[in-house]
Amino acid sequence: MDPVLIENLLQRIVTGVLVGSIYGLLCTGLGMIFGVIRVINFAQGEFMMLGMYATMIIGGMLAAVFGLGPATGAYLAIVVAAMVLAGVGWVLQRYVISHVSGARVTGSDNEGHFAQLILTLGLSLVLSNMALILFGSSPQTVQSSLSSSSWTMGPFTSGAITVFVNQARAIGCVCAVVVSMALYFFVHRTRAGTSMRAAADNPTAATIVGVDVEAAYARAFAIGTGATALAGGLIAMYYPVNPYIGVEFVIIMYAGVVLGGMGSMLGAFWGGFTMGVVQQLSTYFLPFQLQNATIFILFLVVVLLRPQGLFGRSTERT
Amino acid sequence: MLKLDKVETFYGSIKALKGVSFEVPDRSIVTLLGANGAGKTTTVRTIAGLTAATSGTIEFDGKRIERLKPDRMVSLGIALVPQGRLLFSELTVEENLELGAYSRNDKAGIQHDIEKAYAQFPILKDKRGNDAGTLSGGQQQMLAVARSLMSRPKLLILDEPSLGLAPLIVEEIFGIIQRIRDDGTAILLVEQNANMALGISDHGYVLESGEVLLSGTAAELLRDPQVQRAYMGHGDAAIEPAAAGSHN
Repeated sequence: MDPVLIENLLQRIVTGVLVGSIYGLLCTGLGMIFGVIRVINFAQGEFMMLGMYATMIIGGMLAAVFGLGPATGAYLAIVVAAMVLAGVGWVLQRYVISHVSGARVTGSDNEGHFAQLILTLGLSLVLSNMALILFGSSPQTVQSSLSSSSWTMGPFTSGAITVFVNQARAIGCVCAVVVSMALYFFVHRTRAGTSMRAAADNPTAATIVGVDVEAAYARAFAIGTGATALAGGLIAMYYPVNPYIGVEFVIIMYAGVVLGGMGSMLGAFWGGFTMGVVQQLSTYFLPFQLQNATIFILFLVVVLLRPQGLFGRSTERT
Repeated sequence: MLKLDKVETFYGSIKALKGVSFEVPDRSIVTLLGANGAGKTTTVRTIAGLTAATSGTIEFDGKRIERLKPDRMVSLGIALVPQGRLLFSELTVEENLELGAYSRNDKAGIQHDIEKAYAQFPILKDKRGNDAGTLSGGQQQMLAVARSLMSRPKLLILDEPSLGLAPLIVEEIFGIIQRIRDDGTAILLVEQNANMALGISDHGYVLESGEVLLSGTAAELLRDPQVQRAYMGHGDAAIEPAAAGSHN
């Protein structure tokens, strides 16, 4: 095989793994909300968008005020943005979405899903248009040199093959994997995490054993929005942001969560990871514009062959 | 231990409890009998705080509890085995037990009680890693009882524990209920199976259309011709058509 082709393929696999890990965190955030507590949140893409803008703007301010480098400022800003958006998520679930989720809709026909859909779709429109007013419609980027710097792997096979590892993506990948693992541990191994899964599984039973169901939902929602905003911040380090970017990514998020299997945090991560890898690899065979189409073809194939998703329970169909 | 005084509850616009009063003394089993729709489950839900009492008082351990949030009850010492069991079906057996102890903070004590539950219900130990939803009906009922005991309750409320179970398993469950009382927990048993329930009870109350119709010691109620007619299949006429076993 032509070394140039191999080099191209390797390059795409590496980029796919890096991007996929970040998508994995993005999906883990939605997995918390849609998969674990079963709330449909169409504004999840806008939380990512807000995470991106916050990273760009707060990062710029931090860099200016404390004299940090643009990259250091931006990474600090990602943490701040994630915490702020977690707070926003908490308030939103506690005071708005709680009216159409949890104990109040248990046993109703559609478990409040229609109302959640309309409510969060409206919220997503409000948020994206608010961003349009505040930030304008033209795409903006985080002013750091990381996105254009790379580490070099290789050269392999006597200098014929060299693979570049984009620094912004590589750092994002490491952060995303660490945070996703921490969230998995939190949900499956801690008391607070178990109480969330219990509240989602059976709100009445959770109340009986002493779980404050509303609080558990709000906590889960906060973690979900925070995680997605954090992933958004990591993406902002290499990808331009615009007010409507949420729409582009929310579909990937839902597809990733369903692909991985509802209710499984690990599944959500691998679902997102698969999305990223397939998206990058597809550009090897197909025109760039078709990369999202490939994702959905894969999605259809998986749902056809394994309706419960990659990591889902066999009793439950997506 | 538990004392209801003239409790009224609305279910939507229907008055489901019309001034219910009864008592569960320490270290005793009290049975609440009644046909479908008599208000048994509403009574349980009202005690547990899942449905709000519109008037009357509920006293537990000398404290008024009728205005408390339902998730506070368990830390006071009230545990509930609800009708239909309400397990966490996608969580493992062991996680269900751990959640039963959610109101407690003593890790070592919780671990000890989980081992105790496994000693009492060996089948649960075999299935500790399985999802609760995969257990059989009898196993699920045992898990529901074991989970409720994990909070070390002073009062255990069981809502129709025999529902849908084979007679042998029902007998086993009733044996377990007696042992729990012998260990010092007061029990409120809500049942349609009058014979078996009164057989292990100290006191009984008969609920009808949201009111206490009869009350007395278990022995008295077992001899009562009305109770025999309505709940034990003796005689031909029932007090109410609903009591004859219709499923509305």
